[in-house]
Amino acid sequence: MPADHRTASEYRRYLRQEMMPHILCPGCGHGIVLGALLRALAGRGVDPDQVAMVAGIGCSSRLVGYVDFCTLHTTHGRAPAFATGLKLARPELAVIVLTGDGDGLAIGGNHLIHAARRNIGLLCVLFNNQVYGMTGGQLAPTTPSFQRTATTPYGNLEPAFDACRLLTAAGATFVARGMTLAPVPLQDIMAQALAHKGFAFVEVLTECPEYYGRYNRLGTGAEMLLAQGRLPEAVADRLARKTFLPVREEGAGAAAGGQVRPGLAFGILHREERPELTEALRAASGGARG
Amino acid sequence: MSDVRSLLLVGVGGQGVILAGTIVASACLRAGMDVKKSEVHGMAQRGGAVYSHIRYGPRVHSPLVEEGGADVLVAFEWAEGLRWLPYLRDGGVLIINTEAVVPPAACRDRRGWTPGYPEVDVARLRGRAGEVLACNARALARRLKHQKVANTILLGVLASRLDLPDAAWQEAIAATVPASTVEINLRAYQEGRRLTFPRDTAPVDGSRRPVQARPSSRDGATAFLIDVVDGWCKGCDICVRVCPEHCLRLNGRERVEVIDAAACTGCRLCEWLCPDFAIAVRGVAPVLPDTARRTE
Amino acid sequence: MSAGDRAVPPEVSLLQGNQACARGAIAAGCRFFAGYPITPSSEIAEAMAALLPRMGGVFIQMEDEIASLAAVIGASLGGMKAMTATSGPGFSLMQEHVGFACHAEIPCVIVDVMRGGPSTGLPTSPSQADVMQARWGTHGDHPAVVLAPASSQEVFDLTVGAFNLAEQLRTPVILLYDEVIAHLRERVVMPPAGGLPVQQRRRPAGSVEAYRPYAAADGKIPPLAEFGTGYRFHVTGLAHDERGFPTQDPAVIGSMQRRVQGKAERHRRLLPPAERLLMDDAEIAVFAYGIAGRAAREAVRAARAQGIKAGFFRPRALWPFPDDEVCAVAAHVRAVVVAEMNLGQMIHEVARASRGQAEVVGCLRADGEPIAPEEILAAVETASRRGAGAGTSHG
Repeated sequence: MPADHRTASEYRRYLRQEMMPHILCPGCGHGIVLGALLRALAGRGVDPDQVAMVAGIGCSSRLVGYVDFCTLHTTHGRAPAFATGLKLARPELAVIVLTGDGDGLAIGGNHLIHAARRNIGLLCVLFNNQVYGMTGGQLAPTTPSFQRTATTPYGNLEPAFDACRLLTAAGATFVARGMTLAPVPLQDIMAQALAHKGFAFVEVLTECPEYYGRYNRLGTGAEMLLAQGRLPEAVADRLARKTFLPVREEGAGAAAGGQVRPGLAFGILHREERPELTEALRAASGGARG
Repeated sequence: MSDVRSLLLVGVGGQGVILAGTIVASACLRAGMDVKKSEVHGMAQRGGAVYSHIRYGPRVHSPLVEEGGADVLVAFEWAEGLRWLPYLRDGGVLIINTEAVVPPAACRDRRGWTPGYPEVDVARLRGRAGEVLACNARALARRLKHQKVANTILLGVLASRLDLPDAAWQEAIAATVPASTVEINLRAYQEGRRLTFPRDTAPVDGSRRPVQARPSSRDGATAFLIDVVDGWCKGCDICVRVCPEHCLRLNGRERVEVIDAAACTGCRLCEWLCPDFAIAVRGVAPVLPDTARRTE
Repeated sequence: MSAGDRAVPPEVSLLQGNQACARGAIAAGCRFFAGYPITPSSEIAEAMAALLPRMGGVFIQMEDEIASLAAVIGASLGGMKAMTATSGPGFSLMQEHVGFACHAEIPCVIVDVMRGGPSTGLPTSPSQADVMQARWGTHGDHPAVVLAPASSQEVFDLTVGAFNLAEQLRTPVILLYDEVIAHLRERVVMPPAGGLPVQQRRRPAGSVEAYRPYAAADGKIPPLAEFGTGYRFHVTGLAHDERGFPTQDPAVIGSMQRRVQGKAERHRRLLPPAERLLMDDAEIAVFAYGIAGRAAREAVRAARAQGIKAGFFRPRALWPFPDDEVCAVAAHVRAVVVAEMNLGQMIHEVARASRGQAEVVGCLRADGEPIAPEEILAAVETASRRGAGAGTSHG
């Protein structure tokens, strides 16, 4: 809990106030995720001139238009590649990628796993609302089995990606999962991710009441948010067949600071030390010159 | 040409404009008319401008309603109604919802209750249409205990001014809306059809300014100010639901307001869970009531 | 590397076109390369991988060509002169970001070493079939600046020119040559550092608050701040206003589209000049570019030896197309022979720009083999024999 209430709203200086309100729907959880990230930045006293935020296409990616950093709103799925070039050119900047589940795991899946493999010093925040919002609620690679979307009117027959396991396997050296309902642990995850040297990946479960919620009768944004507190049960009720997200058997969520819920791993799920790419390049370049 | 009627339905995303247009077209077909319809729904986000052109008669060639060509303009949202007013023909009928939905995507200069957003003032519409039928459809829908049928109430109003048989409307509604909501939609349609005008359309809630609650200092400990940026609030209800002290509520304009600032303990859940950055909780040093007033 | 009072002599080397390209990039100040291996362009990446670390630059091999151009754009926004190189299939993948760089006005250089297409086509054989893709490959209206060298020396020179144009116009510049030039080893003279005209992008000088990354005062190219220098701004592929934020205002979008699309056209004076040979009294002109230009030059000399009044016109900048020059050429000849290694692409531009003043005939080849001078000579002879044919409107 921030102790000093007089400065606790400092993070708002990172907003482009003249651009607000943002375009996202009432009850959409994306703004909560952005808030946690901005508070983590404020908590570290980050100079906005030293932050670049890079995003792809989709609802979550539109958020970069509302933050007062150097912001780069790119093409669908390609944000990690743009960010890689930017980070290589200016290693001193904090380069943060905002991506969605469709943007980052479908069309941009290749870029994401290769950025992780390189262990380049980016923070990638993946907003997982289980659906394509911007285009009207179509199937995403994270849509749970049997759920309805605009392109799965009879229910989704495909299984969903577990982004955190994917990114861990790809080589990300910091992998965490948070949820919008728990903004304090989320802020803490963001702060640790920002402090991490190397590729940090934070997936956040967030809500799309307008499409995903409506198609699956999950209620308003507020109701969907509160339902996160009973994720497996709530969804098991509806599906009676499958859990909401793939179950992680080993209690890995206990690893660090986060909260663990039955069937779902939250918190910092993986952390390792490996040379960061721009530092490795700098060292090797010194050798090449000498 | 004169036996072709031109209708224009306008509103913002999420209000059911497209669905309403489908019902109208379906009613026209059931009444044995030729009908053409064209619609635009902009950005996927709720709040983008949405409109539907409908023309019907014995033989219709084009669905597009020209400026000054609409016999009836049905505005599901106040500002959209004003924006489309030039499309109404001389002596045409304006059916307008006095509910204001500030479209977050469409226009930043129409931010809620800042000078850019047009004042909801029905009197100003006098003389700008042959007949003005203004009502707060959302408030009427709430009386039916079903907020989502505001669009059907407006359809009822529209039906009262068109020459299509009642049965065609009822069949069209029953065939178009989700099966579980047929009954409530038919009730809403009848409600709209029976409405008499003019109606009292005064805003349910008079507050126009960003709300700043007075700091609470119930026990001499740190007091808190809850700042609400009214124009950023989209009325999602999250803060109201999560506040452990029940300090907040949604007002008649579907915006959050502080009802019990003194109860605020500064937990900041409302601030952290507001997706729109519309709430900030500030702690202030313990203050006496009269100095608190001066800080406002 | 100081030479004291004496000027440093130029370096003379025997270089492949692809190596000359890498050397030209370094000479122009390029310090970032991102690419993906593809024949016949891979030597550029290999040379950059060797050269850049020694210069304090960065080389990275990306996961595909889409990512390569994305990384180049990211690095350019970070303030580095940046380049990628590819061939047809990779160039197709890059089109998404060609459009982004045009629209967001990010300087960069893209090399496309043309090979036979379509699809995988002929990976180790030359072609000139990407010239229209270089102009219109990405969706939407956009400017195109495309240079076509015809020798290793010209690859070096035009690579430097491409970077200068990219920086001056704030737009991607495409360097287009083919497999033969890529792998041909020739003498290349490279001036010492400081001996080349090297341009830098305009950077904002005013206050941070007043900076408008897309405001063109007096038709000038707007200055581009690099990320991390205190100018905080927004870059997007959406239609945007002068500050870079998305807009749907038709007036703003219309003027922005016209300004960006017209950039290359308005700055034609910066483009490299065309090569002209024996054009003064020519009755038959041969229009050719890149490797086909070399064969055409020989064919024109051979025709002159036979008494045919042939002349040679070779644009070094294919886009924007040299409309006025081609129109002037057509006004003074009976026929224009267009020699290109495709089934007819630039010939349509030549015909359009000729405005019916001269007969336009093709000498086209698309089988993986370069056009031979004899083929072009035969086309010139045929055109000559036809005498004063249709379309000769001059006196």
